[in-house]
Amino acid sequence: MSRGGPPLRMTRSGVLLTVIAALAVLATSAPAQIRIEVPNPGEAGVPIALSPLSNPDSHAERQIGETFARTIARDLTLSGLFRVLDRRAYIEGPEGFVLDRINFQNWSVLDALALVKGGFWLNGEQLTIEARLFDVTQQKQLGGRRYIGHKRDVRRMAHRFADQVMLFLTGEEGPFNSKIAFISNRVDGRIKEVYVTDLSGTEVRRVTQDRTLSLGPSWSPTGAELLFISYKQGGPHSFKLDLATGRSARLDARIAYGASWSPDGTHIAVSLDQNGNSDLFLLSSKGRLIRRLTHHSGIDVSPAWSPDGRQLAFCSSRSGSPQIYVMDIETGQSKRITFQSAYNTDPAWSPKGDRIAYTSRSGGFRVMWIDPNGGEATHVVRGEHPSWSPDGRYLAVTRRGRLYLASRDGQSVQQLTGGSGNDTSPAWSPRLP
Amino acid sequence: MVNNTFRGGWLIGVLLLSLALIGCPKQSPQQMRYGTPSTGSGTSGMGEAEIGEGERLQDRVQEDGEGGPLQDVFFSYDSFELSEEARQTLQANADWLQNNAEAKVEIEGHCDERGTAEYNLALGTKRARAAQDYLITLGVPAERLSVISYGEELPQCTDANESCWQRNRRGHFSVLR
Repeated sequence: MSRGGPPLRMTRSGVLLTVIAALAVLATSAPAQIRIEVPNPGEAGVPIALSPLSNPDSHAERQIGETFARTIARDLTLSGLFRVLDRRAYIEGPEGFVLDRINFQNWSVLDALALVKGGFWLNGEQLTIEARLFDVTQQKQLGGRRYIGHKRDVRRMAHRFADQVMLFLTGEEGPFNSKIAFISNRVDGRIKEVYVTDLSGTEVRRVTQDRTLSLGPSWSPTGAELLFISYKQGGPHSFKLDLATGRSARLDARIAYGASWSPDGTHIAVSLDQNGNSDLFLLSSKGRLIRRLTHHSGIDVSPAWSPDGRQLAFCSSRSGSPQIYVMDIETGQSKRITFQSAYNTDPAWSPKGDRIAYTSRSGGFRVMWIDPNGGEATHVVRGEHPSWSPDGRYLAVTRRGRLYLASRDGQSVQQLTGGSGNDTSPAWSPRLP
Repeated sequence: MVNNTFRGGWLIGVLLLSLALIGCPKQSPQQMRYGTPSTGSGTSGMGEAEIGEGERLQDRVQEDGEGGPLQDVFFSYDSFELSEEARQTLQANADWLQNNAEAKVEIEGHCDERGTAEYNLALGTKRARAAQDYLITLGVPAERLSVISYGEELPQCTDANESCWQRNRRGHFSVLR
């Protein structure tokens, strides 16, 4: 299907995936008004009905329409903002997915406030999906999207539409078209490889085959590359992995403990061994040394960039115990911001800039957040190693060898990975193309 | 370090072979060493199925531990300070190194699981370096001593209690042959 001549774009994976923003043919009223009040995470969510997509041409490949609805259901449940209504209660079938073909009373009797319906068409392997979000009470379309791609991209299309549902109803795009890199020993308990999962937790891909220890993945701002630490060439070094080709190259010859990309992609902050001690260094994105950032006999690790790229949060033991500091990169001035526990590590700066999440030990390990200027720390969720979603509304954490996704205040928590092996060090990608 | 690449397939073969040859020994003669193979004591009473499933880093234990020529030194939580006991152990290790003048040793720094991977990686280096520095002050030539940190990645045991954590907070000495 290519009616309407939508702009086509070739993505990295070579798949045509088209998004037509606010299509005139789909949107009855643009911009969509937000009529449905979306609560805070943890409060009773907005009741939403997610109809499977119908295929007007054929009854074949029905699972595509089911997968689409199921993927969105999981995303929206995860958001903590919605209550997805049970499919078995739906009165109206999937067919009839434009405004004047829907009997909204079939949905209002279920107490649905919002409704997603749509259709899909197959042309060989090419899949076209049109999905629309309706306000049941007002009987209006809030927004619609058409996606064209390979039929294996149905989950990606669903994640993108879930992001749009979030946009239509909260005014801010969701984080679901993104991935999470992590470390796991699930295949062979003795070795740790880097994995990437989608946010359904259903498409998990191992991206290293090094049969050694791998640690601490970190995304490039484009989502095309990962930095990680590996023992594959002796003592731990930082490597840069191209996700499309699977090739990795050593970033720096020195012993390294962790690395992270600047938000604009031009620099990499890295903790390197300096005569038996760990200090922070600034490298170019190609690994050229630009400058040493810390000069201290204490451990300095875990650099985390502020979204404007001007500051780094990091962990230092210079006071005698690991604590979170914030450094102005230009002046090199550092300020300690955590004081509430004797063990505070792994800072992660929110993409909105307003919070620094970190791991704190008090009893067990928990994720806390604090203002970048310091002050009172607030508990978020039990777990370790927080990583922010690209929209800043969620945190990925690890707890007892499983990954969890939590709303930023910890009200809503969903398990992402399970099974054998230890899954640790989640790193949430930027929004992907 | 001659070769740090972990040859897992080779290792499984050796483990299975050793089981097939010896049955289920109380002390498995073949132990894995991260990177290169070596010998030592092991865990007890494993059946064949458990080897496959239990093939994990945690089983890489004590390859040169009890009975090996060089003893581990242990550290307090979040510390790389050498205790009096650790100094005595290092003195014994230095004596052995003086009597075995060709031996080169890699000192591994390890941490318990409580903490974050990256911080513990840096802490492991500090521990290995503390042991290395002390051995040098005892007269062992620096060129015979190398260091590597494994952070919390290769625990000796995985129980969540202090006696286990204490065993994991160690400096371990691997004689490079």
